[in-house]
Amino acid sequence: MLALAVALTGAVWALLVVMAPMDAMQGPIQKILYVHVPTAFAAYAAFATTAVAGAFYLWREDEAFDRLALSAAEVGVVLCTLVLVTGPIWAKGTWGRWWSWDPRLTVTLLLWFIYLAYILLRSFTEGSERTARFAAVYGIVGLLAVPLNYLAIDLFGGRAIHPENLSRGSLGEGMGAPFAAGIVAALVAFAYLTCLRFQLEGLRALAARRASLGPP
Amino acid sequence: MNVLLAVLWKDLLSEWRSRDRVVSMLLFSLLVVVIFHFALPPGPPAQAQALAPGLLWVATLFAALLGLNRAFALELENDALSGLALAPVDRGWIFLGKAIANFVLIVVVQVVTAGAFGLAFGAPVLAHPVGFALVLGLGSAGISAAGTLFGAVAVRTRFRELVLALLLLPLLVPVLAAATRATTVLFETGDLDPAPLRLLAVADAVFWISSYLLFEYVLDE
Repeated sequence: MLALAVALTGAVWALLVVMAPMDAMQGPIQKILYVHVPTAFAAYAAFATTAVAGAFYLWREDEAFDRLALSAAEVGVVLCTLVLVTGPIWAKGTWGRWWSWDPRLTVTLLLWFIYLAYILLRSFTEGSERTARFAAVYGIVGLLAVPLNYLAIDLFGGRAIHPENLSRGSLGEGMGAPFAAGIVAALVAFAYLTCLRFQLEGLRALAARRASLGPP
Repeated sequence: MNVLLAVLWKDLLSEWRSRDRVVSMLLFSLLVVVIFHFALPPGPPAQAQALAPGLLWVATLFAALLGLNRAFALELENDALSGLALAPVDRGWIFLGKAIANFVLIVVVQVVTAGAFGLAFGAPVLAHPVGFALVLGLGSAGISAAGTLFGAVAVRTRFRELVLALLLLPLLVPVLAAATRATTVLFETGDLDPAPLRLLAVADAVFWISSYLLFEYVLDE
């Protein structure tokens, strides 16, 4: 069901991107927008899912929440990597340099570090219950650090070169539809990947439980 | 409240008797000062002064990482950590005791390191004692709160020193940035810049409150 939705939204999105008007100033490289921003949205959604699922785990002590937190974190790191790869390619083409320490860039990079540390923390901790607790705590504090990071970067002059929020109308005519389709497609893809990962983790937990019971 | 005082007193007393943490942190941060001297390009004193605030905070943060690791590694001896976890008290108070002890330790190390920066880099550390004390206090408070919470996490993992650094450094970027900013402005103009101090206060509040609440889940038997 979700797989079908991914294929469908992905196809619509790809079609709309091809049909989207060429940017007068930037040329074809501007089409990175339709990949870059939607994956960023999906990555933020993934990290928020990790933190919220972690909080639910601490509250309810249900392992399923922990599996969801782990799945979302892993998908989030992959999506965030995509953002950090497409961003510099676009930046090199338009701003003239790969990396500019722009606020949004720096926050995304720090998020990437935080959730990589989250995954490493899990692999360096022994005992599934302890791993779940530690990871939940780190996921929650990691999300709290995001607004602080924004404020911190503001202090350093706020050399923002990222465009303003889209609600202020920085998208040209005919660019709205592929952009919106991209966001839908990226969120559906995030949901699908997280579900797959979540099912895998559930099977793994089941196998571990069976193995601990000994041969039938 | 009694729990807080008991944990704080125990930590400070055992540190006072052995002094191994504070001495190794001090030596480490002084070494960092020396290393920085060789890492920087030779230039006019003004250039060294401009870099001093950032370097001071980097040296502090690294020395703090060293000390925070020991804070809980020490408790592993004789299984004292399990004793703390099993104590029938609110774990929030244990956190506060531990965090304040770490705070004291970090401030001591930082004051000496600041003195070294004053001597070696010509930083005007004595020019504005009240303002400087405020910045040092706010910055160290943020480091010690998050450091105590994740020190308790890291001590129960493999590669604990490495894990603590990986966990803490990305979280403490706001504290480091704001403290550096406030120190720079203070050294250059003698004024307290409200914007970084506000951020430090907010970051401290976020880290102290969240760590106080979440400490319950990181202490295990």
